[in-house]
Amino acid sequence: MSSAIGKAIDMILGLDPELMNILGTTAKLCLTSSVIALLIGVPLGVWLGSARFKGRGALVVINRTLMGMPPVVCGLLFYILFSGVGPFGKLKLLFTVTLMIAAQVVLITPIVIGNMESFVSGISEDLRESARGIGIGGMKRYLLLMNESLYHIFSTYLLAFARAIAEVGAVSMVGGAIAWKTNVMTTAIMQYTNRGNFSLGIALGIILMTISLVVNIVISLAQRRLSR
Amino acid sequence: MKINALSKTYEGRKVLSTPAFELSGGEICVLVGANGSGKSSLAKAIAGVISNDYGAKPFDGKLSVGYMPQKSYAFRMSTLRNLTLAGGNEAEAMEMLKKLGIDHLAKAPANKLSGGESARMALGRVLMKKYDLVILDEPTASMDMESTALSEKLIMDYCRKSGAAVLWVTHSLAQARRVADKAVFLRKGEMIEFGLAEKVLNSPEKEETKEFLKFYE
Repeated sequence: MSSAIGKAIDMILGLDPELMNILGTTAKLCLTSSVIALLIGVPLGVWLGSARFKGRGALVVINRTLMGMPPVVCGLLFYILFSGVGPFGKLKLLFTVTLMIAAQVVLITPIVIGNMESFVSGISEDLRESARGIGIGGMKRYLLLMNESLYHIFSTYLLAFARAIAEVGAVSMVGGAIAWKTNVMTTAIMQYTNRGNFSLGIALGIILMTISLVVNIVISLAQRRLSR
Repeated sequence: MKINALSKTYEGRKVLSTPAFELSGGEICVLVGANGSGKSSLAKAIAGVISNDYGAKPFDGKLSVGYMPQKSYAFRMSTLRNLTLAGGNEAEAMEMLKKLGIDHLAKAPANKLSGGESARMALGRVLMKKYDLVILDEPTASMDMESTALSEKLIMDYCRKSGAAVLWVTHSLAQARRVADKAVFLRKGEMIEFGLAEKVLNSPEKEETKEFLKFYE
């Protein structure tokens, strides 16, 4: 085991080409999917948390159900839709990073919406009354609500990114874990461990944890700066 | 200005049912009553924050209304910026903060102020603009005696100078007697008595009002 860890460190320090390829694919996938999910989910979450309309409760319940969607179910859905016999088979997107991003967006967006909704619904009533009391409504009130949520958007992004980088079920089904093409850190760890190649698995595990630590530190620093 | 008849029912429970009544510009009308008597509901209904079951608007025509809710929100920006958000420039906002005794907190984040300071900020924010009607829901509830005195003077000055009608929810009978020209006594969501403050708060006609005052004497 110690030799595997030593080899793993050598691979990281030596910038092993396969390792770098997996890292590049992972970065592309996770950054893109989490940012898209944030761009879609934040406005929707803020809206859902602050708007009052019939059926709002039902939408919240549906979103909470989607938040708990198992990644393999999401992967299966995309697989059926985009496989050769599926309705979107002609697009030839199965086993591409593009479809992996789409699957992750579907998986992560409800988490972003839910996280923002629960935060905004807690402040929107008091904010709405105070804003209305000084004649602020419509878009200006919505922007104020967004400004109040800024701090929370950071932690929501952290959650979205963590979900994206740790996710394995959907990306393995949709991407197929093809070496040098769609293999990401989580699928590679599974694949190489199954083959008995612990070094690459350990190297990826170390990197995965380091990335998670760095992202957490950066977000925490940004939050602290913002709260001043 | 005429306030229309208002009604509000929550989950089958009637929390407000008041007839039409009139307020005059340059006068302060206090809303008094025990907890759950409907003071805040009436204030919210007139401010348009909650809808009227009768469907009608709280008042006819177009009135500008300023409203300070019981739980005022401090926006995540400086105290000064919170005031200019409502209207006016920075110099006017500084002047207002000075009157409230919190000018030293102008640059402080408003969401980090203490309860009393935050209430003063919220009061200053609503008084930055000239309105036809200003509704204040327990504006001094979390303030100390000195801040309360400052705030009462500020509200009274605002009312006289701007000619706005002020509707003031208060739990303090002493405060009501100090500031009010008119008074409304509410009980279980109903308006029991409305008239000159002197009369309603000192020699009321209705038994319910007498009982309420007796409790406080």
